[in-house]
Amino acid sequence: MTATEIEDGLGTLAGTGKLLRFQARRSRLYLFWWTAGIAGFTFMTVPVLADQYQSAAERAAFASTMSSPAMLSMSGPMQYVDAYADSIGALFTHRMLLWTGAMTAVMFVLLVTRLTRADEETSRSEVIRSLPVGRRADLAAALLLSAAAAVVLGGLLALAASGLDGGDAASALLFGAAHTAIGIVFAALTAVAAQLSENGSTATGYGLAALGASVLFAGAGSAEGNWVSWLSPIGWAQLTFAYTPEQGWWPLLVAAAVAAAAVWTAFTLVSHRDFGQGMFAARRGRAEAKAGLRSATALTFRLTRGLVWTGVVTTLLLGLAYGSVLGGADEFADGLSEAQQAILDRGGNSLQLSFATTFISVNAIVAALFGVLVVGRGRKEETVGRGELLAASPVARSGWPGSYLPAALVTATLTNAVAGVGLAAGGSAGDGDLAGKILIGTLVQLPAIWALIAFVFAAFAWLPRAGWLRWLAWTWTLLVVYFGGLLDLPEWSMALSPFDHLGNYPAEDFSQAALVVLTAVAAVLAGLGYLGLRRRSLHFN
Amino acid sequence: MNAVIRTENLVKRFGHVTALDHLNLEVAQGETHGFLGPNGAGKSTTIRVLLGMLRSDEGRAELFGADPWKDAAELHRRLAYVPGDVALWPGLTGGETIDLLGRLRGGIHRGRRDELLERFDLDPRKKGRSYSKGNRQKVALVAAFAADVDLLLLDEPTSGLDPLMGAVFNECVKEAAAQGRTVLLSSHIMSEVEALCERVSIIRKGAVVETGSLAEMRHFSRSRLVATLKNPVAGLEGAEGVHDLRTDGLNLDCSVDASALDDVLARIAAAGVTALVCEPPSLEQIFMRFYGDELAAHGVQEEQAK
Repeated sequence: MTATEIEDGLGTLAGTGKLLRFQARRSRLYLFWWTAGIAGFTFMTVPVLADQYQSAAERAAFASTMSSPAMLSMSGPMQYVDAYADSIGALFTHRMLLWTGAMTAVMFVLLVTRLTRADEETSRSEVIRSLPVGRRADLAAALLLSAAAAVVLGGLLALAASGLDGGDAASALLFGAAHTAIGIVFAALTAVAAQLSENGSTATGYGLAALGASVLFAGAGSAEGNWVSWLSPIGWAQLTFAYTPEQGWWPLLVAAAVAAAAVWTAFTLVSHRDFGQGMFAARRGRAEAKAGLRSATALTFRLTRGLVWTGVVTTLLLGLAYGSVLGGADEFADGLSEAQQAILDRGGNSLQLSFATTFISVNAIVAALFGVLVVGRGRKEETVGRGELLAASPVARSGWPGSYLPAALVTATLTNAVAGVGLAAGGSAGDGDLAGKILIGTLVQLPAIWALIAFVFAAFAWLPRAGWLRWLAWTWTLLVVYFGGLLDLPEWSMALSPFDHLGNYPAEDFSQAALVVLTAVAAVLAGLGYLGLRRRSLHFN
Repeated sequence: MNAVIRTENLVKRFGHVTALDHLNLEVAQGETHGFLGPNGAGKSTTIRVLLGMLRSDEGRAELFGADPWKDAAELHRRLAYVPGDVALWPGLTGGETIDLLGRLRGGIHRGRRDELLERFDLDPRKKGRSYSKGNRQKVALVAAFAADVDLLLLDEPTSGLDPLMGAVFNECVKEAAAQGRTVLLSSHIMSEVEALCERVSIIRKGAVVETGSLAEMRHFSRSRLVATLKNPVAGLEGAEGVHDLRTDGLNLDCSVDASALDDVLARIAAAGVTALVCEPPSLEQIFMRFYGDELAAHGVQEEQAK
């Protein structure tokens, strides 16, 4: 039998092997950079943390700052904190797993969408399907490639973690395997999402929404130490308790079972739908445009409407979730010894206010993310060629693609406000003074949000091809907030994040000068952005 | 006559690739101008420079006497454009897209819009993502033909249309021309250009290699002459302006330069003629003359191409 005949025997899976090689080749840069990014970050943080928390006493002191529900919600379950003193590995896993796990999930959501629905949408895979290749082969190849990539990533992370004390070889392996499991589960869930929707961006949206819910559930479960963690793939990874006495593999079995069920669902759906169609058929719409759709700006707001709603719902849930954690902060403080309280009450402020400060800045960065995504939509109009009809219309460059700046600013301002209201409503428990402080603190974030978005817009205007630069800017602000102190980043590099200059309101005062300067920086960057748009060519594919 | 479009030594480079290499193009007001060339010759790049989307590296481009890069938005009020590959917003229906594009230009004539939808047999209620390539093109065509503009820039507008819709398209272009609109029709479909355009520019490797009215081009080209004679004719072999001569008894088949036609016909007439066909070259033959070497490089014989 020849190879072709053997593959013929596979029916709807025929050609999977060839497609796998093809997809691996197409995705090699994507896989390389993502793997290098996540693994590289881990390799870098291991020695820094090990150095910073060398002694058990230091780790015990750190444990007391980490054991509040608020901090647990942003890291992981309490079992790790209890093991801090005995194991640097527990400290490391606790601080990192939620974030590297989330990045891993993003990597696999985007990978599977690229290889399945996005290809089908652009008819690239129509060429493939016309070859002697089975109906399920491209999905099978995409999932096999994802699984292989997840194993490689897990292996590298295990290698990185093996440098940590406080566990055995199994601990490091478990840390790596937890990421492999997250990768495979999100690849499988995205495979289902890619069958449901007709276009790639919606499929990505479903995948990222699943991730958002996972982070929320994992956080809520960790804060309270209850069953809610079990609702989340990231929660399963955390519940392996690597580097703690409770260490165990079996939560990953849950992940394997869910992944298997999702793969089965995706394969069933792929056989029950037509090529190019989703399970949810596209509806017919209006024969004529509404009266309001009469400018490029109106179109931009219309096109980003879905993203704005996603942002509003996400930030509302985020605000409420953090609010519920905040509400329990004082109870938690009462249970601490005076020495522990002294560590926590830096600057003589209440624990609640310092938590509120952290939550407000996290909210602001998540809100800014939606603004960054809106600017990304503007770039996409160019890369997929949809903007060409507008660029040939009597619209100035400031109107298109320039209208993506106001759309991004409005989106981020709105989502930040929603998050603040959620946090105040959930966390103040009728304490008007606290609610007021939270809302003011939320407003204080705006100049920094605007400056970040204006930077991203200027990057879009001057260096449209450098999408990584827009993402780097946002990722950096996140890194500075979460890991700036922990990793002892140099002062100047933290100062690059606009959020670093605001002061820590309501725990401390905010800097009025910074608000003025950041607003001015945002205005200058916006002006530069418009100038850049006027000067550059538009490239449509 | 006023030139609506004029480029002088236009150069556009993308990295190391020179897409436009000193391109000179002139389209007079009211004419329907064919812009002929194969894929990659620079047709779309030229149009995008004329639309102010791309900035030229050297030379000049003028649209209605103004600079399309500086005054893009103002100039766009007077023109409509149909790209070669129309991408629509997936969530907007065809009707919404047509209305939006019309309103950006300051309003759309309802009756005209609905009439065009009817003629192009287009369902305006479908979402952008569910249209086929041909239907996406129709959305852009309806928007363009419904617009009250002086200039239509059409970049391979019929590549996705079936022959019936191609006929509707031809009719619409003729109507636009009758209303005094200027049309630049980029295409590689010869019959379409022959049917619609009075003037033609042939582009090759980023430069216009031939431009003029079709009549002129024919005039300066070789005609094919096929005759059956009463007596053999001597002296045609090697005569100036006579090419590809084949004789088979009294049957004669050759190509004759326009300048030599007088002389050749006189000799034939002297020999006596039973039957005579003398046909001007088709646009396709004229076109192929400029691409003969490229065809040869691809292994196609010139004879076959004709």
